[in-house]
Amino acid sequence: MGIFLQQLVNGLELGSLYALIALGYTLIYGILELLNFAHGDVFMVGAFLAAGVAALLVHNEVAAVPAGIAVGLMLLVAMGGAGLLGVGIERVAYRPLRNASRLAPLITAIGVSLLLESAVQVGVSPAPVLVPSNALVPQATIHLGSIESPLTGVLLFAASLALMIGLDVFVFRTRFGSAMRATAQDREAATFMGIDVDRVIMVTFFVASALAGLGGVLFGLRYASIDFFMGYLLGIKAFTAAVIGGIGNIRGAMVGGLLLGVLESLSGGFISTQFQDTFVFLALILVLLVRPQGLFGQPLADRA
Amino acid sequence: MITQPAAIDDAGSGHRLRRFWESGPAGWNRTLTTPQVLIPFFLAAAVVPYALQYVEDNSSWIGAQYWTLILTTCAMYACLAVALNLVVGYAGLLNLGFIAFFGIGSYAYALVASDQIHQHYPLWGALLVVIIITLAFALLVGVPALRLRGDYLAIVTLGFGLIMRDLILDLDRPPVLAGHQFGPDTLNLTGGTNGIHQVAPFDLPTTVPLIGFVPHYRMYYWIFLGFLALSVYCMLRWRHSRTGRAWVAIRDDELAARTMGVNTFKYRLLAFSMSAVMAGIVGMINAAQIFNAFPSPNFDVQTTVVVFIMVILGGLGSIPGAILGAVAFTVPPFLLQQFVFIKYLIISIILILIMIYRPEGLLGTVSIRPRPVMGGTLELITAESAVEASELPPVTDTEAADLEETAGAIVEDPEWKP
Repeated sequence: MGIFLQQLVNGLELGSLYALIALGYTLIYGILELLNFAHGDVFMVGAFLAAGVAALLVHNEVAAVPAGIAVGLMLLVAMGGAGLLGVGIERVAYRPLRNASRLAPLITAIGVSLLLESAVQVGVSPAPVLVPSNALVPQATIHLGSIESPLTGVLLFAASLALMIGLDVFVFRTRFGSAMRATAQDREAATFMGIDVDRVIMVTFFVASALAGLGGVLFGLRYASIDFFMGYLLGIKAFTAAVIGGIGNIRGAMVGGLLLGVLESLSGGFISTQFQDTFVFLALILVLLVRPQGLFGQPLADRA
Repeated sequence: MITQPAAIDDAGSGHRLRRFWESGPAGWNRTLTTPQVLIPFFLAAAVVPYALQYVEDNSSWIGAQYWTLILTTCAMYACLAVALNLVVGYAGLLNLGFIAFFGIGSYAYALVASDQIHQHYPLWGALLVVIIITLAFALLVGVPALRLRGDYLAIVTLGFGLIMRDLILDLDRPPVLAGHQFGPDTLNLTGGTNGIHQVAPFDLPTTVPLIGFVPHYRMYYWIFLGFLALSVYCMLRWRHSRTGRAWVAIRDDELAARTMGVNTFKYRLLAFSMSAVMAGIVGMINAAQIFNAFPSPNFDVQTTVVVFIMVILGGLGSIPGAILGAVAFTVPPFLLQQFVFIKYLIISIILILIMIYRPEGLLGTVSIRPRPVMGGTLELITAESAVEASELPPVTDTEAADLEETAGAIVEDPEWKP
């Protein structure tokens, strides 16, 4: 039982990271029906931006800053930078193809994904980069009975949860959120209602990418090592989470992310770490077979 | 007086060239896929190694073997591009795990032609094994994923490619599930990161009647070239068959295709598995050529992107385009070795630029440019019919009555006023 609860806690921690990234996929998919392959790589760029800020501030005698401010700056730069990157990608690569057949933006998205990966590989580092996490956040471990979790893990979970609630309020309770939902439902009709669709899409890309950037910062603080290829697998898993929750459904992405994290952690702990990732994709295929619209999605009757 | 016919000939051929140039991508594609062009092309390609050898023998240049190897790589990528064109260009399915089938073919052949599990099948037996294994994997992925819309296929195949890579890397030891080990401790299927070594080449004779001794590198150039010719022949035959028309119909408008009674699932699965088997056979030839099966680049997603960009540069659905794309992206990395580390950076930028500025590629006939919106179409129709109506003589009452009777149409009476 103790092991089960421990794996559950590990799973929730991992799952909250998936959920953060899954939210971005779902937001963009909901608005543009575009599978943004580059999203996982935006997450990776966010992590590298944060690592860059950390490298500048930590162990720097000239600009000695308290750890709190350093983390705040990392968040600001990573989220802002990733958000602007997302907006830039949309403007340059996706907007010219907005009315093209579905295949064209998908292929472009793969190109953008490869571009970001190779740009970081060539321009920054082909080897994993260390994040001085121990100088930034206390490396305490929290014990609760027999279960333990590093403070950074709890931080990851709490920050993701707070952001998800914030996003939920933004989308469902604000005027702009209702414009986003209207655009997702019917872009043309939204234009007729006086909604600036281009602006809505831009803001959506900014928000989605900033969330990925936040995920990058938290990943760096929690695991202390990042590399140019990390967004790839994580991005696919996050997309899987979004599909499990029902693509386009914000609350579904959160639940799907947490579920997938728990599933991965439990299957790794109880069945085989060797085939951990295989189980994740088996879950995806199973969901697609049994309930292709996902747990909370609308039926895909006209979308087959 | 003697020069006159030659001059006319020149004018004639110039005229033909100009007509070819002016025929546009669809015309180029049509001309380049005629037997009059393809047969000489393949024959010329087949004798290139002799030309290289001749130059090497008669000058200080050495590199006949190296250039034959480059051409072999071109032919291999051309085979892959043609196979990918089947699934993406013909059927419009985004298979991002494509290269995994190439890898599966390599490993399947390596397993039955090396000491890895002590199996040494003859060529035809090995070919059968490769086809069955790649087909099985294609059905495993295709059956669940192809029932859904394209994006799911993209992500499932991408995930599939990753799983295969993980499996190949992890299956150098027996699988352990829930504490239970399957197979003996010595079980090593894939060789992990090292891959499978000492794979036997095909058991083909090294001397060919009329030609004599054929060195290994030249033999495999011909095998790839032969498989390419076979693939091209099949692709061109399929294109105008019932199956090919069904694929194109599904790609262009799935709903319309289904309305016309096309079994979309069946034809998608057919395209998906045919392309997978073709990639698997290319992988098998590759393993035999290099005596090895490696996890990288056989399973690298970057390799998939490279094959994609070959197809897209040439033009989705265009067979000569796929070959052109394969040559255009295979030769430069060999010549510009010092820039190889930024290869993927350059390739991804080219890919994005093509998609934005010329998404149909150089020879492409598939339009993936923005579709006209409904309003625009309607305007066009009304404008056209307005012109026609003004140019036509007014319809007489008897004609109108005839039309109404035969076609069931209501003909407008220009003099009628409410």
